[in-house]
Amino acid sequence: MKRHILVIDDEAEIRELLGQFLNASGFLVTGASCRSEALTAVQQGRPDLIISDLQLEDADGLELITALKASCPDSPVILLTGVLFEPGVVQSVLGAQGVQYIPKTSPLTRILEVVRTLLSGDKRAL
Amino acid sequence: MAMIENVVRWIIGFSAFVAMILFFVVLMALRNVSRSIETNAWVNHTYATREEAISVVSSLNAAEAGLRTFLLTGNARDRLAYRQAFSDLAEHVDALKALTRQAPEQYRQVLGMEQLLGQRAELAREALRIRQEGTSADLAAFLAHDAGEEAVHKIARQIDLFCHEQGELLSQRDRAFFLQSQTTRWTVMIGLGLDLLLLCGGAWLILDDLRAKQRVTDTMRQTNEQLETRVRERTAELAATNARLSSENLERQWTNQALEHQLRYNQLIVDSISDLVLVVTKALNISRINPAVTHLTGLSAASLINQPLSRIVRLAGSGEGGTRRDPVAQSLKEGHDLRGLAAFVEDEHGRQQAVEFAMYPLRDRDRVVGGIVTLKIIQAGTDAGA
Repeated sequence: MKRHILVIDDEAEIRELLGQFLNASGFLVTGASCRSEALTAVQQGRPDLIISDLQLEDADGLELITALKASCPDSPVILLTGVLFEPGVVQSVLGAQGVQYIPKTSPLTRILEVVRTLLSGDKRAL
Repeated sequence: MAMIENVVRWIIGFSAFVAMILFFVVLMALRNVSRSIETNAWVNHTYATREEAISVVSSLNAAEAGLRTFLLTGNARDRLAYRQAFSDLAEHVDALKALTRQAPEQYRQVLGMEQLLGQRAELAREALRIRQEGTSADLAAFLAHDAGEEAVHKIARQIDLFCHEQGELLSQRDRAFFLQSQTTRWTVMIGLGLDLLLLCGGAWLILDDLRAKQRVTDTMRQTNEQLETRVRERTAELAATNARLSSENLERQWTNQALEHQLRYNQLIVDSISDLVLVVTKALNISRINPAVTHLTGLSAASLINQPLSRIVRLAGSGEGGTRRDPVAQSLKEGHDLRGLAAFVEDEHGRQQAVEFAMYPLRDRDRVVGGIVTLKIIQAGTDAGA
């Protein structure tokens, strides 16, 4: 059975590229462009993993993650961030909340590697 | 297809050859059977001829004996006996003539015998006439002069000779028949043996052909399996290559959007700075500005691009006709930055604004290709450091 991944990003191109890549890698992907879509998607089916942009148009990524965690506390989360955040600082802040941070400039293969590691439950490999 | 046609041609050729040999054997057998039938008929005919010849001798002796008895007795019963004997003799001679009519030599011999027998019959009639008309003495004298015994012996010898010749012919025919039978036996045996060998050879060829076909079929099946395996491997390779290319394409698109995203945000950061930022070439011509430059000078980006930096910026103390070397050009040449220099920016109306000048060399790897000039506006009452 395919693992379910929820991709949240307000940029359609990023959702589409990530969706294609993860689909080709054997995952079932659902896309959400805003907070309301993300919450609806989580209610319809609990994802095995969530990938979210840190800065959305209608919400702050961290707040959204907190809301989503209430519905699916066991689902690991990956935050994709752009140049607005200092990587070291972001990782130190998010790591404490059990969220994995990946810069948007990382290659897709690195994102896939993190996805597989988190789904396997072995965070030591990160 | 050509192989099948060759085999069929071989089988047809073999069958035709075997049938031809069988036909020859059957023909020879029929011919020999026909000859045997003819030989049997001839043998029977020869035996009949011989029997008739022997019967002629017997009848002759009986007739001679009957005649002499009658001449002595004159009895009617004896007369009837000798006449019957002569009649039998005539019948046997006629039968012998009929049997030998198709053989001219034998027929001629029989005619010779008939002539001698005719002469003997004449003498018998003469003896009978003397007996009826003459005296006993005349009859005795006639009989004394008659060389009957010798004539009968002569006839008997001729018939014996005839019979002997017939016996010789029978012996020759027996030998010929034996040889003919042997020939027939060997012809049939050799023909059947040859047919058997040919059939065995044909069967071996057919079996060999079937084995060759089996080998060809096996080879073709193995070739097909190898081909299918290669096709499957190639298909898998192509699918893997396709997947890899798709993945690389997605990766490339992802990288492009990430770079574009980063560039856009970097541009936003630069544009949002309130200080004046100008990018200059190594020749100190303006190549790029931020919105703060346009805002302060009132000059559009299009009117400033490719213009010398000195059009709007002058360092404090670099008067007209000065002989001092330009520290900005010197800094770019030497590849080090300048900071905290007092300078003035002139707007489109010639008004001057005091600024703090800084410049950082713009490097492409190890090579300085230009510089980034930042001008911090000095508010009234602030010392420009001049």
